[in-house]
Amino acid sequence: MEKNSTKNLILTLSIIGIISALLLTFVYQWTSPYIQANQAENQRKAINEVLSGAETIKQVEKDGETFYEGYSADGQRIGVAYKNSGGGYNGIIELMIGFDIENQKIFRISVLSHEETPGLGARITEQEFKSNFVNKPFGQYQVVKTPAQSELDVEAISGATISSVRTTRIIQDAVTKITKAYGGGK
Amino acid sequence: MDQFTQILLLFISNVLINNFILVRFLGICPFLGVSKQVETAFSMGLATTFVMTLTAAATWMINTFILEALNLPFLQYVSFIIVIASLVQFVEMFIKKTSPVLYKALGIFLPLITTNCAIMGLALLIPLNGYSFIASVVFGFGAGVGFTLAIVLMAGLREGLSFGDVPGVLRGVPVTLIIAGIMAMAFMGFSGLISM
Amino acid sequence: MAVDFKELFGDFKNGLWNENPIIRLVIGMCPTLAVTNSTENGLAMGLATAFVLIMSEIVISLIKNLIPANVRIPSFILIIASFVTFTDYFLKAFFPAIAASLSIFIPLIVVNCLILGRQEAFASKNPVHRAIADGIGMGLGFTWVLTLLGAIREFFGMGSIMGIQLLGAWYRPMVIMVLPAGAFLTLGILVGIMNLISREG
Repeated sequence: MEKNSTKNLILTLSIIGIISALLLTFVYQWTSPYIQANQAENQRKAINEVLSGAETIKQVEKDGETFYEGYSADGQRIGVAYKNSGGGYNGIIELMIGFDIENQKIFRISVLSHEETPGLGARITEQEFKSNFVNKPFGQYQVVKTPAQSELDVEAISGATISSVRTTRIIQDAVTKITKAYGGGK
Repeated sequence: MDQFTQILLLFISNVLINNFILVRFLGICPFLGVSKQVETAFSMGLATTFVMTLTAAATWMINTFILEALNLPFLQYVSFIIVIASLVQFVEMFIKKTSPVLYKALGIFLPLITTNCAIMGLALLIPLNGYSFIASVVFGFGAGVGFTLAIVLMAGLREGLSFGDVPGVLRGVPVTLIIAGIMAMAFMGFSGLISM
Repeated sequence: MAVDFKELFGDFKNGLWNENPIIRLVIGMCPTLAVTNSTENGLAMGLATAFVLIMSEIVISLIKNLIPANVRIPSFILIIASFVTFTDYFLKAFFPAIAASLSIFIPLIVVNCLILGRQEAFASKNPVHRAIADGIGMGLGFTWVLTLLGAIREFFGMGSIMGIQLLGAWYRPMVIMVLPAGAFLTLGILVGIMNLISREG
């Protein structure tokens, strides 16, 4: 058979295609449990970070959204964690936010994933920025470039105002959703 | 914000703010290789924009109707590269038959486009951002226009530079990279233009 | 089969300096510029690319006689894409932090001209042992430049190397270095310096 005949060409490509598809199926099946475990582990860590003291986490569906309710050892609900995401400067920012429903405030936030610029926008993962939201009451947040004056002010990272504003917007949106799902206070 | 405005903003942001070459670092090879003359750079940009728009449409359909529907995410890279390679081949044959003039202008660039990472990057960014079909096509087109803008600007600068007195060791690639760095700084000025 | 070690060593050494993919051949630039904002990222990206390069060179060198010339390029791309997918899933499963910071640049190894270029120029013409030597040499040549670039940018941009803070609070980081503009500037100057060294040497 002629080496460069059309039949031979198609045959070669198909054989390579089939072999690679088979091998990749195997790789996918081998690695996907680990990948899922990694994601679950990340999420669990983030929930524990934003709801400190929670012993058990219960996943609840409300209005088509998933909330994670944290309970203490004696069965008291400590707070609710909610995963929200939105566009950042470069890509999607994914946050886990812990809420204190009773006192209408945010416990703490944790950044699950982001694609912001290292050294600038990526500093949303640092304590200095995240501490803006520790024990923050619900309300209309205002991003400022100077040290925060009122308790609703959020101090932007210098040189990364856009990342700061977008992150704040994701949190604002989460506050709206949580008040809608859990109502105001008790 | 209504849908039309959003699409328009997506377009502008991909041309100026998230420029594929200067901010996302996609398509550097042709940017350095084919930016010696404005005319050829423009043709390259045109060919790339054309293929990018088509690629956005084709890979969106493949990803949505085949890969996601059948739950085959691990075949994404393999199938995208095949789609791009065959698309480029198809465009080449089509242009050759219909418009010899256009083929003369773009012909030599088309094979290069297959290994242009801007195209593959585009295909990969679409599922990552979860764009709709129309948004994907606009994204592809905007990215192509941004690519053309950057490469034509660079070619213009290099044409001027050929008369300048560049230190020997910096001639060629190094000075091109340094100019690109200054251009990237200039483009950073656009970064606050749109807040979506 | 007699193995000529001198020739093997020459193939290996070639990629490190004489035909260094980044500095000499100026190929594979997208990942070079994009992921080198820290030493760790540069190193990880270099090793991932080297792995794909070596594996594809081995496979292609082994089956080079079975592939008809007309479908050479598509076959190469298919094989490379398969190894890239493997690397991507492997990193996501066992090194999730690295996979997250390199994001879409792992899949972009598929279109890294370095890999396809070496298959075409070397692996498809030479026996396996030489292909391995070439793959390792080129891979390491790519890795060291990437790591160096990452180290320079991280040092000036954040005052640290490999995440370890070297400069104290007195140092105001040159943020521009970790931004896209800094990538172009650093590489431009680096290539210039390398030109200077090899011209005198």
